[in-house]
This record gives sequence, C-alpha cells and structure tokens, in this order.
Amino acid sequence: MSAATKTAILIGPLLLFLALVYVLPFLGVVRWSVTLPEPGLDQYRAALNDPLVLSVFWRTLRICALVTVLCVTAGYLVALIWVRSGPLARLLMEVCILIPFWISVLTRAFGWLALLSNRGLVNGWLQAAGLIDDPLRMVRNEFGVVVGMTHFLIPFAVFPIASAMRNLDERVLMAARGMGAGRLRIFWQVFVPMTGPGILGAALLVFVFALGFFVTPAILGGGRSVLVAELIYLRIFQSPDWGLAAAVSVILMVSVGALLAVLLRQIRPGGAP
Amino acid sequence: MNGKHQEDCLAILAERARRGALSRRRFTQLAAVLLGSSALGLRGLPVLADSGELVFVNWGGDASKAYDSAFGQPFKADTGIAVKQDGSGPTEGAIAAQAESGKPAWDIVDADPFSAEKLGKRGLMEPIDYDIVDRGKMRDGFGWDYAASSYFYSYIIAYDATKFGDNPPSGMADFLDVETYPGKRAMYKWGSGMWEALLMGDGVAAEDLYPLDLERAHAKLSSFKEHVISFWGGGAESQSLLLNGEASMALVWSTRAKLIEEDSGGDVRFTWNQGMVAPGSMAVLKGNPGGAYAAMRFIAAAQDPARQVVMFEMLGQGPGNPAADALIPADEARFNPVDPANFALQVPLDVAWYEENYGPALDEYLKIISA
Repeated sequence: MSAATKTAILIGPLLLFLALVYVLPFLGVVRWSVTLPEPGLDQYRAALNDPLVLSVFWRTLRICALVTVLCVTAGYLVALIWVRSGPLARLLMEVCILIPFWISVLTRAFGWLALLSNRGLVNGWLQAAGLIDDPLRMVRNEFGVVVGMTHFLIPFAVFPIASAMRNLDERVLMAARGMGAGRLRIFWQVFVPMTGPGILGAALLVFVFALGFFVTPAILGGGRSVLVAELIYLRIFQSPDWGLAAAVSVILMVSVGALLAVLLRQIRPGGAP
Repeated sequence: MNGKHQEDCLAILAERARRGALSRRRFTQLAAVLLGSSALGLRGLPVLADSGELVFVNWGGDASKAYDSAFGQPFKADTGIAVKQDGSGPTEGAIAAQAESGKPAWDIVDADPFSAEKLGKRGLMEPIDYDIVDRGKMRDGFGWDYAASSYFYSYIIAYDATKFGDNPPSGMADFLDVETYPGKRAMYKWGSGMWEALLMGDGVAAEDLYPLDLERAHAKLSSFKEHVISFWGGGAESQSLLLNGEASMALVWSTRAKLIEEDSGGDVRFTWNQGMVAPGSMAVLKGNPGGAYAAMRFIAAAQDPARQVVMFEMLGQGPGNPAADALIPADEARFNPVDPANFALQVPLDVAWYEENYGPALDEYLKIISA
C-alpha cells in the first residue's frame, strides 16, 4: 500500500463526514439564498443595500480586526515567555493559558461583567482608592466586547505561534549572534520574520473564529453590539427572512474563504501543501 | 415577545424552585387538586388522536414541567391523550420550518399571536376552531383566527425605591426624565413594547398610539439611548441590572418584576402605570401529527380557570380566562397583569400592528441602538 493510499484511507472518513454534515447543508443554504422568496440574486442585492446588514458587517469586521491584532500581539508575548523560559515559568504559563481555555465562554463573559461593570470589582477598587469619582464604562459597550473576545481567543493565537517558535532552528539565532547582531536586532530581523507563518496562522484562526462570535457580544455588549452571527439568527428565527439570512451567510463564507485563500498562499508560498 | 418572554418563564420557575418559597410542594398540591377535580371538568369519552398523543412545544426547562402539571396531566386524565412537552423553543422561524416540511412533529405551540397570525395567513397554521375553543373564556379583544389567547404578561417600569420611593415614577414621561429621576435606564433589546413606551413618554396619548409613529419613537430613542446602560435580551439580565444598581429604572416583564421586588426585599418596586400588556397564545400547526381536533380540545381544556391559576402561581402569567382572576388570592392580585385594576392602567399591544410591522421596525430599532 502506498503512502498516498494510506493517507486517503485515514483521511477519507473525515472528509466524507464533513461533506455530509457541513458541505451538503451549506449547499442547501446557498440554494435558499438564490431561491427564497423567488429565484434570482435579489437577496444579495437586498443584503448589500440594507443599511442594517452593512452596519453589522462593518462593525463585525472592525471588532474582529481589532481583536485579532490584540490577540496576536498578546499571544506572541505569551508564547515567547512560554517557549523560551525555564521549566517553572513554563509550567506557570501553561496553567495560565490552559485553565481559562477550559472554562465555558458563558462563565467567562459573566466573570468580566462582575469585574468590569459600573458596580463591579475594578470600579469599586478605583473608587475606594480615590482614583476616579464616576465609574468607568468598561462593559455593556464595544470595549467590553473586545475585552471578552480577546480574552477568549488569546490561546488560539498562542498555540500556532508557540509551535512556530519551537520549530525555529536555534542555530540561526546563534549564527546571528556570531555575526555580531544585538538582541533587539536578532529579535526583529531574525526571530520575528522566521515565526511569521505562525503569526499569520494565529491571525487567521483568531479572525475566522471571531467572526462567528455570538454569546460574548450579546452579554458584554449591553445589547448594542449586534454582530453578524446574531443578525443571521435574527433573520432565521425571530423575524424570519431565510433568503436574506442565507445570502448574508454566503457573503460571510465567501469573504472568509477568499481571505483564507490569500493568507494560505502567504504562509506556504506556491500553494504547496 | 417573540419567544424571549416565554423562554424567561423557565428561568423564573427555576429560581422560585431554588428559593423553595412557593415551590414544588404548593405546586404539587395545586396539581393534585386539579387532577382530582378534573373528572368534573371536561368530561367525555377518550378520543384517540391521530397519533394518540400531542406534542406541546414551549420554551423549555422547568416551564415544561409547569405546562405538564397544569395542562398536560389533567388533559390526559380527561381524554386519555398523552401530551408530550417539547422545550425546543417555537420561534417563528422554527415553526415555519416545521410546517413547511409538510410533516411537522409538533402539534401545539406557545407562540406570539402575531407570529401565528402571520404564519396562518401563509397557510402554515390550523385555524382555531371556536366551536371547541370557547371564545367566551377569553378576554374581550383577544383571540385571533390562528391563535387562542392563553395568557398575558406586561412590559412595566421597575424602579429603585430607595431613590424614588417618595416620588415614584407615574408613567413613561418619568421613565424618560433623567433630571427628576437620575440614573441609568434599561430597555428591551427586541423592540416590543419599547416603541409604545417611547411614544407615551414623548407625550402621545395611549389611545392615539396605533398605528405607531415609528419616526417619532426612533427620534426619541436616538436622543435618549445614551442614558440606557443596557438593552437587555433576557429577563435575568434585566433583573441583575436593577438588583446590582446599574440601572435606577428599567422596563421589564411583569413576571420578572415580581421576582425583582421579592429579591430586593422591596428596594426595587414596580408600577402598572402606562405598562404594555402583551398576549401569549397557543396555536396549532397545519397538518399536526395528533390531528387538529385533539389539539383544539387541549386548548379548550387549558382554558380552565383553576389550571390557569397554576400557571400564574408558577410563572406569574396573567390568566387568559377572565374567570381565573377571582381565584387569585387578594394579596397576589397586584402581581396579575390583567387584574381589572391593573389592566385599566395599561395599554394592550396591538397584535395586528406587530403582524404587519414588527420585522422592519425591529431592524430600524436595532440600527439605532447599535449605532
């Protein structure tokens, strides 16, 4: 049996499973988008001219982009300490990354509410310390949504970055040092570029994941931050317009797909697997 | 409305059970009484439904238990037809999906009347058979072609009585007045009842509300929204906003207001003044597996006043049958949204208006609050 046949046998069931539970239903959604209420591309025209849909798309993109930048930056630092420090610090980092990772998204959102609300712990401390008079508005707005989403998604940025850092050939750094480069220069000109694919992978993972967020914005946004996932829910269940919901879903999928294609080419030049 | 309220009932039930205040014992007692007396009620030969059972779809969790004990078990005792509770949540979209499939698995749904009416006109719902369901056991002005009026809840003002106890808010103008009544507000995220509140607060008389002047309501919303700390999406959220003092006044469901008052030890109170009464209803899917006849009989059986009082005790729902008001103890009547004294202070939501306008109005509303 050749290696290729083995691979096909091993991966085949998964592909079949995905085709059945994911691709097929999605094709059904695509069909809805061009047939409900009547055949044609009217729903796409309606979606792209609907001020609510546009404002929701724009807000979703803006929040997800911001969350991605924050997650990748924070994740890079966390991964750096995790990968390149002694055993004790490493253990500590692992605990700090993994424990929140295991706690449900709902619990974490309510945790932030308890910490950051007007009568929450943080405002309580700041007021008791005399640093502020009026409570700071930290949740029930977009700020709260960004905090909650970033906190949830940091581990997803850490893992690909850490893996890229681990795979980096230590000798390259030694060579750079041998050539007389300073620490900062080694970091910016050697270390960061060599972990670039990890950074892009992390950004991709976080961004795509963030696009589908539902619970965190609903709890921490004070009802104000309607993102695209909630809009689709609204159009399927609450004030049903399945054609429009399907069109919005397809637009989201296509834009994410295009983004993936572009970024994957960046990570693996030439597109080779 | 749109299921959100019904969903909240289960949460209320869970809380009441947790507190052990009224609780399960009282509930079991009531249920036992109902079961015992049921022989006197809707008697008749057991009629076997098409599938021999009915599926009643509600908003899940413990609310299913309430429906089961208040309506399901007595109905089975009377007719021999078992009623299965399904808590998967009959949103308008979910009902449409079931009915359009041509082979629905659902019989009866706890739905918003305006949704049922809309779906009914698309041929997806069974018309209510008023030869079986008794229109005389519904309140005047409620009861529709495709939806049988079954219970009520209100959108009302709840306020921090430690701040405003001496001069409590008397209506929506006070709700919108942050000078006299300082502090943040909370409103409902999905619009229902809020347009009416904004318009009355802006000076529109209750009798001139419909058709709603959305432009005026939304202009008011735009200028007022900075005072709204949160647009709550669920009853528990409205409760916590008031209990932890983040909002000094909020528009909440009456079913929640009762809990909030109890939980705060009277520090948060509520008023029925200029509240909006929202109707809940039961509706039957076209081609339901148990057959329309059995489903209509179930709805008729659920009109029994004593059974509706169980729902009031458990969930705070105002009974759909006016005869049930008298069965509610005097000290509890102030929590009944449709008690004649309370009802007179409020405005009923116009189902026909919501049927026509809810979708686009909600879009506009969401655009403003999220801008």
